[in-house]
Amino acid sequence: MDQAHQRAIAVIAHIDHGKSTLSDRLLQLTGTVSDRDMREQYLDRMDLERERGITIKAAAVRMEYAANDGKRYELNLIDTPGHVDFGYEVSRSLAACDGVLLLVDAAQGIEAQTLTNLYLAVDAGLEIIPILNKIDLPAAQPDKYAEELAALIGGNPDEVLRISAKTGEGVPEVLEAIVEKVPAPTGDPHEPLRALVFDSIYDSFRGVIAYLRVVDGRLTSRQQVRFMAAGLDVDADEIGVMSPDAQAVELLDTGEVGYLISGIKDVGLAKVGDTVTVRPGSAATALPGYREPKPMVYAGIYPTEGDDFPLLRDALDKLKLNDAALTYEPESSGALGFGFRCGFLGLLHMEIVRERLEREFGLSLIATAPSVGYEIELTDGVKKVVRNPTDMPDPSQILEIQEPYVSVMIVTPTEFVGTVMQLCQERRGELKEMHYLSTERVEIRYKMPLGEIIFDFFDRLKSLTKGYASLDYEPAGLYGSSLVRVDVLLNQQPVDAFSTIVHRDKAYDYGKTMTERLRKLIPRQLFDVPIQAAIGSRIIARETVKAKRKDVLAKCYGGDVSRKRKLLERQKEGKRRMKQIGSVEVPQSAFIEALRVDVDGSKT
Amino acid sequence: MSSVAVAGRTGEWLESPGFGVYVHIPFCTHRCHYCDFNTYSGMEDQYEVYVEALVADILRWEGPAPMASSVFFGGGTPTLLPVGSLARILTAVRDRFGCAPDAEITIEANPEGTGEKVFAGLLDAGFNRVSFGVQSLVPSVLTGLGRMHSPATALRAIAAARAAGFDDVNADLIYGSPWESTSDWRVSLEGIVEAEPNHVSAYALTIEEGTPLATLVATGRVPDVDPDLQADRHGTAEELLGAAGLERYEISNWARPGRACRHNVLYWSAGDYAGFGAGAHGHVAGRRSWRRRLPRDFVAGVDAGTSTEAGAEVLDADARCGEAFMLGLRLASGLDLAGMGRRYGAEPLATRMPVVQELTSRGLMEWEGSCLRIAPSATMVAGDICARLL
Repeated sequence: MDQAHQRAIAVIAHIDHGKSTLSDRLLQLTGTVSDRDMREQYLDRMDLERERGITIKAAAVRMEYAANDGKRYELNLIDTPGHVDFGYEVSRSLAACDGVLLLVDAAQGIEAQTLTNLYLAVDAGLEIIPILNKIDLPAAQPDKYAEELAALIGGNPDEVLRISAKTGEGVPEVLEAIVEKVPAPTGDPHEPLRALVFDSIYDSFRGVIAYLRVVDGRLTSRQQVRFMAAGLDVDADEIGVMSPDAQAVELLDTGEVGYLISGIKDVGLAKVGDTVTVRPGSAATALPGYREPKPMVYAGIYPTEGDDFPLLRDALDKLKLNDAALTYEPESSGALGFGFRCGFLGLLHMEIVRERLEREFGLSLIATAPSVGYEIELTDGVKKVVRNPTDMPDPSQILEIQEPYVSVMIVTPTEFVGTVMQLCQERRGELKEMHYLSTERVEIRYKMPLGEIIFDFFDRLKSLTKGYASLDYEPAGLYGSSLVRVDVLLNQQPVDAFSTIVHRDKAYDYGKTMTERLRKLIPRQLFDVPIQAAIGSRIIARETVKAKRKDVLAKCYGGDVSRKRKLLERQKEGKRRMKQIGSVEVPQSAFIEALRVDVDGSKT
Repeated sequence: MSSVAVAGRTGEWLESPGFGVYVHIPFCTHRCHYCDFNTYSGMEDQYEVYVEALVADILRWEGPAPMASSVFFGGGTPTLLPVGSLARILTAVRDRFGCAPDAEITIEANPEGTGEKVFAGLLDAGFNRVSFGVQSLVPSVLTGLGRMHSPATALRAIAAARAAGFDDVNADLIYGSPWESTSDWRVSLEGIVEAEPNHVSAYALTIEEGTPLATLVATGRVPDVDPDLQADRHGTAEELLGAAGLERYEISNWARPGRACRHNVLYWSAGDYAGFGAGAHGHVAGRRSWRRRLPRDFVAGVDAGTSTEAGAEVLDADARCGEAFMLGLRLASGLDLAGMGRRYGAEPLATRMPVVQELTSRGLMEWEGSCLRIAPSATMVAGDICARLL
């Protein structure tokens, strides 16, 4: 279809603000999915997404819409991941759009993540259609939040659409607004092909499916194409559109959105943000904005059963095919055995990977405490990046340590401003900005070490604000810090899995927390077990697990022998499954519990 | 009784512990909430058929039948049966197995309902050792445990048995229950010492799975037992019983020198025994077997002329050796590795030696000659130690 009748849009919304429901309604109203085939959250294909109520991977769906002006339009709905970890993916999805629907719950108002994505959309120069959803709810306050939205994007509260995606009220107006307000794409059909890859997924039958938008030129089936950043030349085996099921086409014209299958077996070769061009006659320059995915958070992942190491390796190899951002390299731990140091975009990404490893590959895993990447300059001038606390050099060899900082955005009701600021100050935050969205809600910006966020920050924020505050963050560079490694020793023996890098001022708290936690988790042994936290050779905290005093069968006579033997066999089997740290027997569960960081960035 | 030391009665591990016969009487007037033994109340009308079946089952025993060095009537409450019935059963044992002239023949009894006349009858029948379920000499503790007798009844029963002519009297005690204070425990121990039994068994109350007490604890209606406190109580028993001339020869058993329970020493020496009655276990040369648990099923089996055995397991040399460690290390004497080697061969010992070495180096076990034992200071963590040697 000609460019004038094309529109590509994305929905920016907080989790649970109704993005999937609105998408469902749009699919129905345009007849893309018949009422008979409709099921809830149609586009969220993956089980994992469905269960967690979040969208991990973007999809794009084409809808044909007969507008009130009597013309037919081709609307492409591009889904965006809704979480902080996938900020870059969001930016690429937005880059493939002409406009966005800013969807906000009329009972809750805008949340931090939505704000971040809104700012991304504004920066990208996209037309923004503000929508308040759930106006059918008794708690809805559409007037109040319409003002908030209008103030944010500039405009009149009357221009904010008011809908209920659930009942369908107001949704036809959304379709009209897309056609009227969102500008048509303006690519040049005569230039060499430049198509933006805004998502790529791995399918075990078809290989990599790259979702793209044709910005300039046109893409025809069976043509040879080049992924410019990857420097990879392949044949376009199949091109097509999702409507919502895949339909092969011969041509993707300028402005159109579709998919490309080209025999690639690894999403790492068809990365989000890459530009696809033709060959020969390639475009001279790629589309702007490409970035290599960069892990921000690292953790050691170990199988609870040492024998499962090869299975874990195979599982990571397979996951990697579908997850260009995941990195991993083998490492070994005295306490946990053989595993991998994995790099993730963030905590949610880590949770998702871990959950997929356990669910899809049937593995039982232990993860170490998450860490960030520290850049260390040694006294001899050598620079190195430390992603595992045990790799931290001796303090005497360190000239400077730099740690990654993030710019944190928190949206909270004003009554919690003090609490939020206290929490951020505790976490070494530096207040940057406060912006009142309304008289009742404020956006607070802090600069803060990422390492402070990955330890239960989100949970603390949520509990301190009764669940009202929302959080988002983005990388803000590296800064020097006074950091130390705290080791935890069991019966004088350091346990590498518990070592962590913290700010000097936090070392005591960490040591105390870990030793106390371990005292409760380590079963009593036949001798007293000292649990110590130390910086180098200096002990900063100590607890003791007192020796057990009674572990004996009170009686064992002729009628008991078989049963009592089974009791002891169970005890013996339990011992066998424990990890031996020196002479201390530590159950797996103690590692799992001690390393549990109660953070789940996916919850609202 | 002869004053000459009889094998087993010193309480030391025996390479050849003789042959025992166990007879189970699965009846009680009421079930105690902590008890997980195979016993039933309200079955008075079954006593007679049960005795008939028991006698018949003993007489048709087809296994090896060496002369018994010990016989043990346990329960339940064996003394609920008329003395005549008990005598008939014991006669059946004599007829089928024969009893050594110095055989130890024990019967368990509850303090209530047993007078001097009963004891005289039991003596006549051939019993020469009686074991009382005293449990405590503090009324509030007895109430907590759900026991029907009073401290005075218990002491009277012990006196009556002794007066009737029983030299060998044991008193069972339970410590570390939630209803017992430190001084309560001392009161029980002191009272028992004064009654002068020549044998005392003192057991830490164990919350056994499936008992009413386990449910009470699980639902928070009764506090759980405190293992540290039980360890303290064991220490008190050690102190008071030791001072009274009773030596601990097993984790929970004390006796005057030469008055250990020969039948139980046979168990702890992994010896052979035949078991009769509902749910009774037997062990012959590495084969452990057990009979039907329900009295009526047991009786029906006998009546039908089919075996009353409900199950069995055959242990290989390694499992037998592990079991012998688990049992033998309960004895204060420990077990004799020379004898173990003769019994099970060198191989199963060899695989355990590194563990033994580690445990001795940590002071948890010790050698005396060729005997290996748990260090006295580690008695109360024997479970952990035995689990390593199984």
